[in-house]
Amino acid sequence: MLDDITSVTVKTALTGLAMRQRVTADNIANIETPGFLAGRVSFENSLRTAVENGSPAATSISNDRSLEPTRLNGNNVNLDHETLTHLDTNMRYQLMLRAVDTKISLLRTAIGG
Amino acid sequence: MTIGPIEAVGAGSPIGGLAPIGGLEATESTTSTNGADFAAMLAGGLQKVEAAQDRADNLAVQAATGQLADVHEYMIAANEAQLTTQLTAAVRNKAIEAFNEIMRLQA
Amino acid sequence: MSGLFGALGIAGTGLTVYRKWLDAVSDNIANMNDAVATNADAFQARYIVARTADYGSGTEGVQVGGAVLSGKTDGRIVNEPTNPLADEDGNVKYPDIDLGDQMSQLIMAQRAYQANLAVVDRAKDAYQSALQLGKG
Repeated sequence: MLDDITSVTVKTALTGLAMRQRVTADNIANIETPGFLAGRVSFENSLRTAVENGSPAATSISNDRSLEPTRLNGNNVNLDHETLTHLDTNMRYQLMLRAVDTKISLLRTAIGG
Repeated sequence: MTIGPIEAVGAGSPIGGLAPIGGLEATESTTSTNGADFAAMLAGGLQKVEAAQDRADNLAVQAATGQLADVHEYMIAANEAQLTTQLTAAVRNKAIEAFNEIMRLQA
Repeated sequence: MSGLFGALGIAGTGLTVYRKWLDAVSDNIANMNDAVATNADAFQARYIVARTADYGSGTEGVQVGGAVLSGKTDGRIVNEPTNPLADEDGNVKYPDIDLGDQMSQLIMAQRAYQANLAVVDRAKDAYQSALQLGKG
């Protein structure tokens, strides 16, 4: 049922945000690992283009390594950045959940006589 | 002596015709235009619901692609869509109930 | 990251800059007693220059404009004949770093860092409340 453009977009965003959460947790866990480059998940631009083309499911969620300058041990994880990314992603995830929630409640209102 | 013919009873002065009973005066056109008002109201309500749902949908897509500037914008639009939908559904339900009541009376 | 939860990103830039400041100050304090020969340059204290990022262009906040060395290469000449680096007069050169100055910078950097953390905290609460609109 939830397969209109908006619902698919929101579901794709949820998938992307969930991956970002995992990668951020991975970055924080590896903050002292020598040679470890922080991971960065990006999907928003791809999603925007896909929505404009009418098929949001065709977004690509990419996970790249950050090329920011490294510290002495080759590690470039910035703890402040990761903590805030974690917080930001968390809240975006909640917002997307509320969007799905709204859709479901609208359907339910329409169904319930 | 001649007895005059009995005068027709009451033939002298004809009883004034009964004044016609005034028909029921139409009351302030309640029934007909009230029906038109209700239909218009329902149609307008449905348009508002669709508009509210579309707005909430657009803002949700903007939020998903990271273009939304204010989170409360989407939250308010989503709540508005939910409330207008529920209101219209409630009106529809009450109208159906009333219709059924009337049908039951007539049977 | 700015935009939807903009205050978080902006405070985040502050956190990065003030942590770099803390790093610079701790580096200065750690190297306060680096002795060098009198003909070499003394250790120079490092200062972080904070610069505002362009407001309204999507990259608000603060950024590190650069790290500047104090330029005090002459240092303090101290008479320490027993030091292996001492020259023929028995002098060595120590960095010209004022511990009091560094400590007050340390406190300022710490306060600034904590202030930005408070911003993050409050902003998070505000956004969470917005996310709960209409629930219950």
